Amino acid sequence: MNPVVGVAAFAAVSLATAVIGFYGLRVSRTTGDFYVASRTVKPWWNASAIGGEYLSAASFLGVAGLILLSGTDALWYPVGYTAGYLMLLLFVAAPLRRSGAYTIPDFTEARLDSRAVRRVTSLVVVLVGWLYIVPQLHGAALAIRITTGLPAWVGPVAVVAVVCITVVAGGMRSITFVQAFQYWLKLTAVAVPVVFMLLVLGGGTSPAEAAPAVNPTALAPSGPYQVISLLVALLFGTLGLPHVLVRFYTNPDGQSARRTTLIVLGLLSVFYLFPTAYGMIGRAYAPDLAQSGPADALVLLLPGRLVGGAAGDLLSALVVAGAFAAFLSTTSGLVVSLAGVISQDVFGGSVRGFRLAALISALVPLGIASMTESLALAGSVGLVFAFTASTICPVLLLGIWWRGLTDAGAIAGMATGGVLCGSAMVAGSVLGAAQTPSWLGQPAAWTVPAAFAVTILVSRATRGRVPRTMTRLMTRLHTPERPLATER
Amino acid sequence: MTRVRVTAPRSVTAGSVTAGSATPDSPALTGGRSAAASREAEEESDAGQLFVRSLIRSQLRLGLVVALGFLLIMFAFPLMLGLVPGLADSTIAGLPFDWVLLGAGIYPVIGLSAWLYVRTAARNEARYRDLAGDK
Repeated sequence: MNPVVGVAAFAAVSLATAVIGFYGLRVSRTTGDFYVASRTVKPWWNASAIGGEYLSAASFLGVAGLILLSGTDALWYPVGYTAGYLMLLLFVAAPLRRSGAYTIPDFTEARLDSRAVRRVTSLVVVLVGWLYIVPQLHGAALAIRITTGLPAWVGPVAVVAVVCITVVAGGMRSITFVQAFQYWLKLTAVAVPVVFMLLVLGGGTSPAEAAPAVNPTALAPSGPYQVISLLVALLFGTLGLPHVLVRFYTNPDGQSARRTTLIVLGLLSVFYLFPTAYGMIGRAYAPDLAQSGPADALVLLLPGRLVGGAAGDLLSALVVAGAFAAFLSTTSGLVVSLAGVISQDVFGGSVRGFRLAALISALVPLGIASMTESLALAGSVGLVFAFTASTICPVLLLGIWWRGLTDAGAIAGMATGGVLCGSAMVAGSVLGAAQTPSWLGQPAAWTVPAAFAVTILVSRATRGRVPRTMTRLMTRLHTPERPLATER
Repeated sequence: MTRVRVTAPRSVTAGSVTAGSATPDSPALTGGRSAAASREAEEESDAGQLFVRSLIRSQLRLGLVVALGFLLIMFAFPLMLGLVPGLADSTIAGLPFDWVLLGAGIYPVIGLSAWLYVRTAARNEARYRDLAGDK
């Protein structure tokens, strides 16, 4: 690929991000603006922003790469990513908005009336956020190396730099506009090349090298345990992702939080048709890319391969731009939510503290990413979902729907899920993908029930600790807001 | 999925005041305007809490029903492919059937479940407003 194409595409996306970020700067003045854009973002804007933030490197590059590698087994990834939002809508969206909290630690502290729970939740949230940023930076390293030939570290450093500048300068208000723009950019970037590729293929000039059903690798198909465990991770993990949850506070009320989520589901469904198409076309026309490293670059390489000449270069530039939009938007969403948590817990919630916290939130994962090797992107993000599902999800679900939850139960549950799932992840990376038994490689099917069980049992044993504020809080979570409440 | 019919009288008998919430918290702790405070006091009375509990139960039941329905349909897809001979090898418009079913066919099911849920959840809340005398 022409290296100028990659550099130009990245520069254009960064510039657009910065310009929209600074445009947003004029309207963010108070601390409240910085955190949640004053909760007055319209459902369509907000839904586009949620979509923009959620569609990460794993969705943009990883899904197509995994489909190339493992065929129909990998189709469960996009289905799970989308169905996770359905679960979020059914069990979390409206009550969480009505809780009036800014972050997950705010919610658990209010619900359980306990500073200790807040601290443990903050720790887990920061951990999840860092774990989730690392694959984004690995994606950026891969994209820079493949498309420009520059050293791989340039990608992560550039992404972190752009994110820090936008977040530190603009806060959440500009982030909303940036994210909304990036959803539509990503959709265009992934969809337009598919149309051109289908036109070229429809011309019938280049014959298929293999049928999509033919397995280009020696990978064994995954069994029912792996599929179910993956779906548990994706369905329950989405509920607890910090950057997803913080978005719901920008809805004016619970009903609009539901409407927003409904739109998000539509946006995600449309988007995921395209990575699936790349995977399928890739299986037929580029089976030679099916090795775990380059497979993730399928989306970047396929348009240039199938559509030659200047048109091919333009399409390549478009997908590269979309990929960088994915790294930038997910990373900045995570940095904003982590900065919100860190600044409130450590810096007392000032705007200055928020900026400092944003720098910390972005630089730590940059360090981790530079020291670790990239795995298959969709797979490593899948593990982060498993971790979230084993830690934050039980506390959130039980906190919203079960009156008996206590602070001791919440802490015990998060510790159990975190230790079990964390050990499985460490064991898996020490053993290597080939040596890891499937119950360790996909731990969610047993770590999530274990975390739920411990949370419930310990809460039962300590039922005297149910906070006195529980009744009022449950009422607030579940009853519709009145017209009066909107003037708050 | 039919709409969830949880009517207030049934819940009043079913959910009679139990659990540790028998002593309502003092509304004074919340502060704020007096109108809001008196409304909160009303909600935290025994009768108000019955309506709230009934609302929470109906919303939870709705969520579970929609989630279970969706999961059943989702798992029916691969089962169908495995059990009906020849189905996985058939094609739609030149594309393999299993790819079309898993890669595109599940999304409308997700969207439909979500739409049903949003509609019914709003209806549950409207019913709560009527019962709680909140106009």
